[in-house]
Amino acid sequence: MKRALTALLALSVGLGVDLGAQAATDSGSPEGDAWGGDGWADDAWSDEESAPVLHGFVEAAAGGRLQDDPALSEDKTLAELRSHLEWERSVGSAHYSLKGDLYADGVEDGLQLDLREAVVQLTPVEWLDIQAGQQVSTWGTGDMLFLNDLFPKDWKSFFSGRDETYLKAPAAGIKGSLYADGFSLDLIWTPLFEPDRYIDGERFSYFSPLAGRQMAAPDGVIDADEPDDFPEDGELAARLYGRRGSLEWALYGYRGFWKQPNGLSSGGDPIFPRLDVFGGSLRAPLGGGIANTEIAWYEGADAEGDDPLIPNDQLRWLAGYEHELVPRLTGAMQYYVEWIQDYDELKSGSPALYRPDELRQVVTLRLTWKSMRDNLTLSWFNYWSPTDQDYYLRPSVSYRLDDNWTLSAGANLFGGEQAHTFFGQFEEGSNLWARIRYGF
Amino acid sequence: MKTPVKALSLIFAGALWIGAVHAADLSDVNEIVERANHAAYYQGEDGRSEVRMVIRDDQGREQLRQFTILRRDVEDGGDQQFYVAFSRPADVRNTVFMVAKHVARDDDRWLYLPGLDLVKRISAGDKRTSFVGSHFFYEDVSGRNPAEDSFELVETTAEHYRLKATPRESQSVEFSEYRLWIDKTTMLPVRIDYFDGGSEPYRRVEALEIEEIQGFPTVVKSRVSDLRGGGATTMEFGFMKYDIGLPDEVFSERSLRTLPRDWLRRPQ
Repeated sequence: MKRALTALLALSVGLGVDLGAQAATDSGSPEGDAWGGDGWADDAWSDEESAPVLHGFVEAAAGGRLQDDPALSEDKTLAELRSHLEWERSVGSAHYSLKGDLYADGVEDGLQLDLREAVVQLTPVEWLDIQAGQQVSTWGTGDMLFLNDLFPKDWKSFFSGRDETYLKAPAAGIKGSLYADGFSLDLIWTPLFEPDRYIDGERFSYFSPLAGRQMAAPDGVIDADEPDDFPEDGELAARLYGRRGSLEWALYGYRGFWKQPNGLSSGGDPIFPRLDVFGGSLRAPLGGGIANTEIAWYEGADAEGDDPLIPNDQLRWLAGYEHELVPRLTGAMQYYVEWIQDYDELKSGSPALYRPDELRQVVTLRLTWKSMRDNLTLSWFNYWSPTDQDYYLRPSVSYRLDDNWTLSAGANLFGGEQAHTFFGQFEEGSNLWARIRYGF
Repeated sequence: MKTPVKALSLIFAGALWIGAVHAADLSDVNEIVERANHAAYYQGEDGRSEVRMVIRDDQGREQLRQFTILRRDVEDGGDQQFYVAFSRPADVRNTVFMVAKHVARDDDRWLYLPGLDLVKRISAGDKRTSFVGSHFFYEDVSGRNPAEDSFELVETTAEHYRLKATPRESQSVEFSEYRLWIDKTTMLPVRIDYFDGGSEPYRRVEALEIEEIQGFPTVVKSRVSDLRGGGATTMEFGFMKYDIGLPDEVFSERSLRTLPRDWLRRPQ
């Protein structure tokens, strides 16, 4: 623990962040004026910052498997020292922003750089915003379920207990937002396809229907070729949305690829098959809570459904409801279904053993309890599939010691009746994790 | 010696009498409540302010919050829009909280989490829970709908109207009644004590400093105290400006995802 902390501090000092100076400004004057005299800080939104202001955090994180994974010798699922830095500046009407992570990873050994954001924001005319560069994008109404949000996800981070922020991976693209009377339109063009950071056998093993067993690094790492022809292999995502009173509506469209290599080439190599998605969503207050529903049509390249190498079309539907149960305790439930089209053709073309069900249903439950004026948060989230007979449980606790230090811990628990199902295959990846963060 | 004192008291009496002419005591409790609600939450057509809070817990440990708040009245005394963008501490920097306050139905509330680029909708229920970790409740910031309570004028003193309020739906709140001290000159509530059945209040909201800004008497410093558990939050307003001409569009999803910097910037 002490060693980790020393290393953490060394890392932050090495990055030019003066924790000492930060602490001095925060500690305040002897009169007990926590703001250190009467002076207000500089205008937080000003064009002219007196000096480049850096914000961010340093974090130490550790996590380990609860059981051996016969496919993977590594017991650690998370072991890292991470530094996250943010910088932003406005020049005229342009706003520049940079966010990046540098971390020493003890699981996939090495020093990693993850550029989370590098964008310029422009408003060339009053009704148009442009945001160009590396960016994280999110839309849709699901909670940890994504139908029309086909922006890259980082499942390795999600499964290993990194902050939930890291579930969303960045992509380099251009976002144009048009604002009209009564509706708005977002168009996001990602010139080069950006896949999910999917479970590929590093850190967590996965079930291979071809091999009929769990696969993992080093031999079982999935290394799929990403579609990379420019410009036809880019991704285009669109959202038309608006609000009528309290009701939020949205229509979505996507042209690109499945975000995970769930198809096979004729030579037997994993590929990212073509995918177009069309959908819509509604969200509104209902009976003191928030109700949402979303639908999406997944149109793949296998229109007849008889090609066993690529996924069939799918219809996805979600309904959810969130309500405060008692003060400070909020509960939320979602029902989600994936309906595989042309299932008879799929049946005739693929062996029964590991074939997905025609309907995959998932129920999620979220409970969030906040106490001690939000300094302590207990959180429960679970996926449970009655059709796959598997589950994924995510309990966690987070404690904010003060404005700088946060401690958190939790678990990722997978299980199921069968070895090949969506969550069941990660049973040996079940893990506990803990993190300590210093924000500045 | 005697005469000057008498003269002085006559002058005082005269001043009081003149004061009384200018503001005859109100006796209609609904009018007092309406005017107090207006003075506290509806001054001007809109406004911008920077806010900083010191949250002190029962052991004297302090946390800080800093944010900029934009407010626009859709209708004077009626629906309102609030936009709150945080600048401190680090873990909430650039987080945005937005409220469409409705008098006739539940408020609409959103939270924008910049790390995820996520626009989250918050249910209307939990209005009497901690506002960003402070002793203030969400409802203290945007104002509690007066229609939710029934009021009674308890006493009219030289400086204050003292009111007693009881919730119409007692299950929805943690208090059984609260008492208000409304300043007769400004019509601002300067103290509110909350009770939960006993004779001693467990929570107090106080106006610590009032300044006149653009002609509007305005609370620029206030405090909420947890009288039972200890701890208090002090809130200060700075660089406040009324009637800046905020358009409706500022209170939209666009502003959640892209900060409306021209409006958030400190006015020159």
